[in-house]
Amino acid sequence: MTASRREIITSSSSPPLRTRFALRFLKNLMKIKKSTPLGHSSSLPSSSSLEIRRRTQLIKLAAYSSMARAVGSRRVWSRALILKLSAGKRIGHRSSISLSARSSLRCLGMKRKRSKTVTKRFAAKKRQLEGPCPGVVELQRLVPGGESMDLCGLLEETAHFVQCLETQVRVMRSIADQLP
Amino acid sequence: MSSRRSRQSSSSGSSRISDDQIIELISKLRQFLPEIRDNRRSNKVSASKVLQETCSYIRNLHREVDDLSERLSQLLSTIDADSPEAAIIRSLIQQ
Repeated sequence: MTASRREIITSSSSPPLRTRFALRFLKNLMKIKKSTPLGHSSSLPSSSSLEIRRRTQLIKLAAYSSMARAVGSRRVWSRALILKLSAGKRIGHRSSISLSARSSLRCLGMKRKRSKTVTKRFAAKKRQLEGPCPGVVELQRLVPGGESMDLCGLLEETAHFVQCLETQVRVMRSIADQLP
Repeated sequence: MSSRRSRQSSSSGSSRISDDQIIELISKLRQFLPEIRDNRRSNKVSASKVLQETCSYIRNLHREVDDLSERLSQLLSTIDADSPEAAIIRSLIQQ
């Protein structure tokens, strides 16, 4: 009796990851919605597109931070991501939110399009120098906190990271489909 | 953690001790990759291919997050903050 009750209690107090993520993300979305007022009807359309782009960055940051917090400190990558995102937030105030956003997003291994050829050449050079598995360096860059992990840990973290990213994409897509 | 051999100490190929571990982890990783999951037979895919596919898959997922963020941003600008749906969402969140 106590065992089953304990089971029920634990299952109700720790909802699945996608629920935890969805709740946090929706909260952040509402916050973003409130704090970024829409331009008045008299404003130029170009300013509203700037607003939209700024909000896109905020939403992206909110998504990654919501996911990292929903996972908690159980995983190396979520801890590293939380640290990096909060450090990025501390750097930028509201006025320079784009700068802090860019620095935070860079830690996720996202490069701008125009530097793609440069990174490819650099990655090719690194591949020649790298010993066992050349793709490992690339993977370490993509997974937050990956630089400090050995191969086994990195593969485990990557598997969990990919799972969580898929969940994140699925939840975001269903939210975007549900909103009118 | 200290018992695992670090990458640098085994410069020639993967370390002998954790070879099976690595194979097991890579096969576990392979299950997440959509392309490899259905097509190939399990033994034929090399480890470096799996790593490459994983990297490109992660990058794809990042790109999808970008697109979805933009879509959500556009949608946020159109919804009304005081509509009944927003109230429903807010009540769900407060729970």
